[in-house]
Amino acid sequence: MRWWIFAPAMALALSLDMTVMQVLSINGCAPRLWPTLLAFVAMYASRASALGAALVTGLWLDAAHPALAATGVVPVAVPVFGPHALSCLAGAWAILELRVILYRRNTFTVALAAGTCAAASAVAFVAVAGLRAAYADPAPMWGAGSGAAAIGADLLSALYTALVALLPARWLHASLGAWDFATAGPRFAPGARVGRDP
Amino acid sequence: MPPPLSHRLLSGAVVGAVLLSALPQRSFVGWSGAVATAMWAPLWPITSLLAIVRDRVRAPDEPHPGLPGALRQSLEDRDRVQGELDAARLRVRQLEAELGEIAAYRPAHDAGWRPLAATVVARSAGRPPGLFAIDAGSDQGVQPGDPVVVGGNRLLGIVAAGGAGDRSLVVPLDDRRAGRIDAIAQPSAPAGAPIPAGVFVQLVPAGNGRLVGELESEATVRPGDPVLLSDAAWKPSAQGMRVGVVERVGKLDANPLRTRIDVRMETEPARVGRVIVKVAAGQGARP
Repeated sequence: MRWWIFAPAMALALSLDMTVMQVLSINGCAPRLWPTLLAFVAMYASRASALGAALVTGLWLDAAHPALAATGVVPVAVPVFGPHALSCLAGAWAILELRVILYRRNTFTVALAAGTCAAASAVAFVAVAGLRAAYADPAPMWGAGSGAAAIGADLLSALYTALVALLPARWLHASLGAWDFATAGPRFAPGARVGRDP
Repeated sequence: MPPPLSHRLLSGAVVGAVLLSALPQRSFVGWSGAVATAMWAPLWPITSLLAIVRDRVRAPDEPHPGLPGALRQSLEDRDRVQGELDAARLRVRQLEAELGEIAAYRPAHDAGWRPLAATVVARSAGRPPGLFAIDAGSDQGVQPGDPVVVGGNRLLGIVAAGGAGDRSLVVPLDDRRAGRIDAIAQPSAPAGAPIPAGVFVQLVPAGNGRLVGELESEATVRPGDPVLLSDAAWKPSAQGMRVGVVERVGKLDANPLRTRIDVRMETEPARVGRVIVKVAAGQGARP
């Protein structure tokens, strides 16, 4: 995988998530682009590259999502590195396990994978944040409401993400050749048999 | 055969992420903010541009939509003066109580503040909307704990510690990380009648623009009554600002002698594009 393509693409996706994608929010539920990009990478890149991309994405999300320590009168914003990194690993891992049974060169498949990636990472994040809340955080990192409510909201957002992912998935497929993925070369083109002698 | 170096690196990174996830927050104080700022620094220009695009595509939730600019400004001025009047009333009540006691010395009341307009440039990514970032920071005199308002007197949140020179993080009132809030529910009175005394209530953020609180059952609070901040932990410039309006009043199932009130914020934090930070008057902009 070409990291010099992945890094700016993910930076753009995260910037859009933090700003323009809020325009599409319905009752506080907004779609996100980073699961689409991460799912796309996880479907085609090598296992190590996909997990590495998930770690990078998660660390970036951690940097953008400060936890708030309620120790004093004024809340103190402290970015906590790790929870999003683990949740993105879970999301990418889910796609890595699923990709062998998916017909990958299909826009709907990428959209489905984006929803799955978002849902898996949401469950993992709430699990990690719940564990942290038991001993480390004065308030859970997911914000207001219970953990179940947070998972429910995130699952709705994952569904919305899958719907919205149809459009970027087309663009990502169109750019497939530029990414230099380990499992998207000519050997994996439709009609080619894996392992056939040249 | 040993695994490739990239696999070793990856395994180390995963273990590192697990260890970092397990650390308490105090372990991150002092370094993680600088790292996060450095990680996001390259993205601020494009994020700021995209924020402008977002505001153009979907107009922010203005306090008085559909009105001409001059009239809207007048209404905001009216609400701002109303907020000052509410704050003064609360202060008078407090002074009356203190005069009755004169038990201890309290420092002089200093509500001097100046408005500082700021734009919402980013919201937390990936999770349910919570805190958001504005393009004003310590360089402009913004300090942790400064109240953030819209529409003259509608309290939106509080500036959290940990911002940068030109950026600040705002915790909305409905986020439970903002903590419990002491407030006064102000029962409405007919025109000309004396204003009834407010009812103290401690509110707990419940998310989605709502806060809940309990009070005595004989209190005469009705839906639509305004709820004003009266919390000694907040800065003087925040006192008397409107937390929201009472949306629902009902008995507590667990304790019928007490009443539960639901308070709804009048402005949706997730749809605000421009805010006013009430900066302490002595805090000038840093050159």
